[in-house]
Amino acid sequence: MTKPQVSINAYCRTLQLLSHLRLLPIVAVITLLIGCSTNVTVNGDYPSALVAKQPLSVVLVLDDSFSSYRFTSEKDNRQPVTMALGESQVQLFNRVFTDLFQNSATLQTLPTGQNTLDLIIVPEITEVQLATPMETQLNVYEVWLKYNLKVYDGNGQPVTDWMMSAYGKTQSRFLKSDEEALNQATVMALRDAGARLLTGFQQIPEIRQWLANRQAPAKLSQRTER
Amino acid sequence: MRGALPWLLLCVLATSACGTSTRVDEFRPSSTLLPLNDNEKVVVVGRRHSGAYETDPDFINCIGTRLANQGQLSVMPEQQFLDSFYPWFEPRMAPLGLKRMGGMLEDPLIGKRVRELGIRYMIWVDGNIETTEKSGAISCAVAPGGGGCFGFSSWDKAANYEAIIWDLGKLGEKGRVQVDSKGSSYLLAVGAPIPFIARVQGEACEGIGTRLQSFFAPAGPGSP
Repeated sequence: MTKPQVSINAYCRTLQLLSHLRLLPIVAVITLLIGCSTNVTVNGDYPSALVAKQPLSVVLVLDDSFSSYRFTSEKDNRQPVTMALGESQVQLFNRVFTDLFQNSATLQTLPTGQNTLDLIIVPEITEVQLATPMETQLNVYEVWLKYNLKVYDGNGQPVTDWMMSAYGKTQSRFLKSDEEALNQATVMALRDAGARLLTGFQQIPEIRQWLANRQAPAKLSQRTER
Repeated sequence: MRGALPWLLLCVLATSACGTSTRVDEFRPSSTLLPLNDNEKVVVVGRRHSGAYETDPDFINCIGTRLANQGQLSVMPEQQFLDSFYPWFEPRMAPLGLKRMGGMLEDPLIGKRVRELGIRYMIWVDGNIETTEKSGAISCAVAPGGGGCFGFSSWDKAANYEAIIWDLGKLGEKGRVQVDSKGSSYLLAVGAPIPFIARVQGEACEGIGTRLQSFFAPAGPGSP
């Protein structure tokens, strides 16, 4: 029971000290500035994809820098924005890879030693860009995400580096808070990233070539058997 | 009598100033009403491929609610539709024309899902609402004894939307509805600010929803 009393007394004493030092207005301004910053932990639901599963065994490597990714924007002419993106992008990538491939597993580090994997994919977020309501003149955020997907074959040999970008925008113009508007824009950008992955992965020339090379020996052995 | 004059002026302003004008145009290739079985649904989806604007999901929901007409038509919510067909109707992938839609329906997974969910008609809505003109100024002040605002501000809003009906059963366009809605809103501040807001988006939703409703044959026991 005494603890809160102690902390209130401490708080009052601090305020008294600050007012003696004429620092109270500065504290008020700092408090207002902190209040004006936008902090969002991105939270979205990503639906199951309506695509045919590829007959491949794939490992998705999501390291700590990816799963706890935080974006901070501190341009001089706008309020600071902090966006915790990691958890939501892990959720999206897990969902997409489960739906896209017949066998998919997630690891935190690259697998070592002998394995029966077809592909190892290591995504990395390389850039986040933001347009804030101050720039768009509406309670509308725009978010650009840029990923680099490093693709290796089962032996750990590089197949390709796929640079993939995604875009999202706040759709509702009448959202009550900045946080809600930014969250909606980021979830839209992540959904767009998922759409690109689902529809574009097999279109990457190096992946197509790799698939063709992989199927060629199988076809040849079938002919030999006949 | 003198005391009542400001109130009278206020009432006149409230009733006449923020009026909205709405024009609805339509195109029907045939006068036959669009049939809908008991197990078939309509879905209203917003176009979001343009970088300059977004068709507001709240507006799409408003049209869907009006179109459903208290349960007379079965309307699937937009988000449920987008999630069921992810990623094929995301802004990047959504078909802009019937030819591409036809190609998508040939995909066994997409075609099967359309049949499973009973989606017969798809209504694409494209457009937005924007502030066209703004004038006036309001200033507010706070003092130890109280505070208040003084001034006058007005702004015009214009909503422009087009809805296109696609028949997914027989793959064809079955009609178009276009709505233009304009209105002026005012904010009068004498002490406290008093807003007079024109229902531009509401009127556009009402106009487009009611007109779309008239394209469909009411579902019932005798419906095909």
